[in-house]
Amino acid sequence: MDSIQIHGLRKCYRDGVPPAVDLQADISILKGELFGIIGPDGAGKTTLFQMLATLISPDGGTATVEGLDIVKDYRKIRTMIGYMPGKFSLYSDLSVRENLDFFASVFGKDVDSNYGLIENIYCRLKPFEKRKAGKLSGGMKQKLALCCSLIHSPAVLFLDEPTTGVDPSSRRELWENLAELKEKGMTIVVSTAYMDEANRCDRVAMMKSGKFLAIDSPSDIISKFDKSLVAVRSDDMFRLLHDLRSMPETDRCYTFGDTHHVTLKDGTSLQAGEIAARLTGEYGHSGVEARLVKASLEDCYMNLEDR
Amino acid sequence: MSPFRFLFVKEWKQFVSNPFMPAVLVLLPALLMLFVPLLATMEVRDVRLAIVDRDRSTMSMQLIDKISQSGYFVFASYPDTYSQAMDGLSRGDSDIIIEIPEGMERSVGRGEQVEIFIAANAVNSTKGSIGGGYLSSIITDFSSGLPSSGGLASGAPLSIKPQFRYNPHLEYRLFMVPALMIVSIILVGGFFPALSIVSEKESGSIEQINVSPVRKRDFMLSKMVFYGLLGIFAFTLSILIAHFVYGLASHGGLPEIYVGAILFLAFIAGFGLIISNYSETMLQAVFMMFFFVLIFMLMSGIFTPVSSMATWSQYVTYMLPTTYFVEILRSVCLKGSRFADLGFQFVMLASFAVVINVIAVVTYRKQN
Repeated sequence: MDSIQIHGLRKCYRDGVPPAVDLQADISILKGELFGIIGPDGAGKTTLFQMLATLISPDGGTATVEGLDIVKDYRKIRTMIGYMPGKFSLYSDLSVRENLDFFASVFGKDVDSNYGLIENIYCRLKPFEKRKAGKLSGGMKQKLALCCSLIHSPAVLFLDEPTTGVDPSSRRELWENLAELKEKGMTIVVSTAYMDEANRCDRVAMMKSGKFLAIDSPSDIISKFDKSLVAVRSDDMFRLLHDLRSMPETDRCYTFGDTHHVTLKDGTSLQAGEIAARLTGEYGHSGVEARLVKASLEDCYMNLEDR
Repeated sequence: MSPFRFLFVKEWKQFVSNPFMPAVLVLLPALLMLFVPLLATMEVRDVRLAIVDRDRSTMSMQLIDKISQSGYFVFASYPDTYSQAMDGLSRGDSDIIIEIPEGMERSVGRGEQVEIFIAANAVNSTKGSIGGGYLSSIITDFSSGLPSSGGLASGAPLSIKPQFRYNPHLEYRLFMVPALMIVSIILVGGFFPALSIVSEKESGSIEQINVSPVRKRDFMLSKMVFYGLLGIFAFTLSILIAHFVYGLASHGGLPEIYVGAILFLAFIAGFGLIISNYSETMLQAVFMMFFFVLIFMLMSGIFTPVSSMATWSQYVTYMLPTTYFVEILRSVCLKGSRFADLGFQFVMLASFAVVINVIAVVTYRKQN
C-alpha cells in the first residue's frame, strides 16, 4: 500500500523566479519504505518537505499522506506525521527532558507510552537530561530532535537533512536508528546532500531545480549508468582538471575524492591507457595514472543533471 | 492536559529558565517608577536671574527681596547696564534679566506708570516662560501691595486667587506617575509577547508547533494570557510604588483601575501580535513596536497635556487608547472617579481592545 502519493506538486514563492518545486510526475512512496531525496542545496528538498508536512500549501498538484489530502485534511495529517526540519528548532532554553515532555504533550501523549520507540536513541541523551537543549553538541541536538518528532509514534517520518553538520560516527548511528524504525513499519522520507547515505535508502529520488531526475533503488540507478568512466590522477591535479576538460573526447570531468572522474562522449573509443599517454605526451603531465572505474551513486548524480 | 495549559506551562518554564527576564520584570517597573518621576520634572526651580537695578532705592530693594523670598530664583549677577546683562544671558550665565528703571520709586510716588523690563532666555522654553511667568506674577503682586499715592483705594481692585483642585500643589509627579504605570504595561504586556513570538519564528520552533495538532489560537492565546498576567504583575508593582512612595491614592477605585488595565493589556497584546505577524526578525519587531509605542506615549497626552497640542493632533489623540486609559487612571487616582463617571473612556478602551484583536486575528490568518 502507498503511504504517500504525489501528483505533480508545484510551489512558486515569487512571480518571475523559477518554481522552488515543480514535480511533474506521479510518485508514490510505499508504506515502510525508506525513501531518500538527494540533491544539492537549493534543489527544493525543504520546500517539498514543508508541503508534505502541511506547513505550506502547494500552488499546484495534489498529494496524499496516509490517504489524507495535504490541503484538506492537514489537521489529521499533523497527528500522524513526524517532521524534523533541517535547522535545529526545538526550544534551546528548555532542558532536554522538558523539550521531550513538551512535544509529547503537544500530541496529547506522554513520554512513557511511546518510550520504547525512542529508547535506543534517547539512552545516549539520558546523561544530559537536565542540560539546556541549546547547549548540546550538534549530533546530540539532532538525536533529541529525532526523539521529539518520534515521541507520538508517527506513521510517516519526514527528516530534512538530518545529518548536516553531524560528525561521521553520529551520522552512522542515526542511519542505524532509521533502519530500526523502518523495521517497525514506519515510512521514512529523508533528504540528504551526502551520496554515501543515499545508498542506505530503499529508493532514492535525485532532485535538481525542483524536479526529480530519477527515482529508483540505488543499485538500479548505478546499473543503468551506461558510460565509460575513467579515474585520472597526476602530480598537478589542478592543471589536470583543466586539461582533461579541454580534450575533445571528454563529456564531463569533475573532482571525485583524490582523483578526477572523466566520462567520455558517446561514440568515442578512448582507452584509459590512451588518456594517460596523451596527458604525458601532449600536456606534459608527470605521474599520470588512469583507469576504468565502476560508477558510484555520485557519478550517476553528476551525469544526470542536465538531461 | 489541555493544549492551553501545557503551552502556558512551557511559557513559564522558558521565562524562568533565564534569570534575566524575571529580573527585568521586577526591575523595569521599579526603576521606572522610583527614579523617573523624581528626575524628570516640569517644575522650574533655581532660575538664574540677572538684576539690573538702575533705581537703587528702598522700593527696588523691597522688590528684589520679594523675588528672592519666592524661592524660585537664584541671583546670578548684578550688572550695571542692560547690555552687560544681555552678554551674561547670551553666555548662558543667567536665564532671565530683570531691569528696574531709574527713578521707579519717584514715579510710583507720583502715581505714574512704571515699566519693569523682563527678558527671558527661551532656548529652554519651559524655564524661560514659566520663570518669566513667576517673575511677572511676583511683580504684579508687589505692585498691588504698594500704597497708592493718588489716594485711590487700590491699583488692582480685583485679584484672582486660583485654587488648584485635585493636585493642589501642582506637582508634576502626580501627572507623571500614572503615565509611567502605562509605560510599564506597554513594555511588559506589549513588547514581551511580540518578541517572544518573533523569537520562536527566528529559532524555527514555531514550525514544530505548526506541524503539530496544536491550534494556532491556543498557541497565541497562551502567550497573550501569560504575558498579560506578567503585565498585571508589573502594573500592581507600579501601583504599590505609586501609593507608598508618591502617596497616590486609589480612592477605592481599584476595580476601575484594574478593569482599565486589563482592557488596555488586551489592546497592547493584540497590537504586539499584529507587529509579530509582520516581523521576521527581532530587530524588525523592536523597531516597529518602538515606533508605534512612541506615538502612543507622546501623542496621547500621557506626558504632556492634550490641550497644549495643535488642534489636528488633538484629534489624533482621540484615536489612541492610551488617552482613555490615562484619563481613567488620573480621574480615579486624583479625583476618585467611578465607573459611572468614566463610561465613555471604558467603552472606548474596550472597543480598541476588540478592534485591534480582530485585526490581529485577520492579519495572522493572512500571513499563514
